[in-house]
Amino acid sequence: MGAAVRMYLVPIMVSLLVLVMTGCASIKLIADYDEQTDVAVTQFQRKMETFLFALERNMGENEASYGSNAKFYDEVRVDLSAIRVRAAAIPQNDISMQQLSLLADNINNLEKLHKLGLGVNDIPPVRNAFNVVCTAILKLEIAKKRGKS
Amino acid sequence: MAAIDESQLVSKMLGAAQGVLADKWPEARDYAETEFKKLAETIAFIEAQRALGQMSDEKACLHLNMQENSAKTILLTLEGLGILAVEAAINAALDVVKEAVNSTLGFALI
Repeated sequence: MGAAVRMYLVPIMVSLLVLVMTGCASIKLIADYDEQTDVAVTQFQRKMETFLFALERNMGENEASYGSNAKFYDEVRVDLSAIRVRAAAIPQNDISMQQLSLLADNINNLEKLHKLGLGVNDIPPVRNAFNVVCTAILKLEIAKKRGKS
Repeated sequence: MAAIDESQLVSKMLGAAQGVLADKWPEARDYAETEFKKLAETIAFIEAQRALGQMSDEKACLHLNMQENSAKTILLTLEGLGILAVEAAINAALDVVKEAVNSTLGFALI
């Protein structure tokens, strides 16, 4: 084995051995799975889907106007704030935090659209956006289980 | 006591790490393809609605911003899956070291 390889390899091997022998036999680069985040994001998606179905059913009626639904935006912001506070308390959870910020931004966008006046053709792209974001957040959260059920 | 064969150990560690990374990629690729296809269809829908005059430029802009945010969350998930794969690869390599040390010593030290 060449001197250069030995020069780099030996320190790496020693470091790895120290890691293993000091009980640090495995490393963790990203947060652990959090069941409460999983459940809360799933509930958020369900709430959003229920809201969108109700808007579709009542489109053109007063029930679908922004004024009749302004309270919904306050509620989901509170829901999302609770999820974000919890996620922020979990170490190495930066990626999930960024995703939750994007989800919050999409709530702001939906509210702006609603204030402009929603039509039937606005619902499919809105539904897709929220479903894609929630799926992405849940996909990563579940992957954090690292093969454990 | 037998000496540890460094080159063999490196080769085993690399093999363990590569195996883990290769196993994870197809799953991530399938997920990304499915989700990006949905986004592409939705963006085409928004553009068609705008072209037909069924959607104002202001609303189209808000819709496109929502789809952009969605694309960013997919990319963040892929980043996270990549980090998890690297983590699993490093731990697989560490397991090889553990096995090599225990087997060289002749008893389960670790």
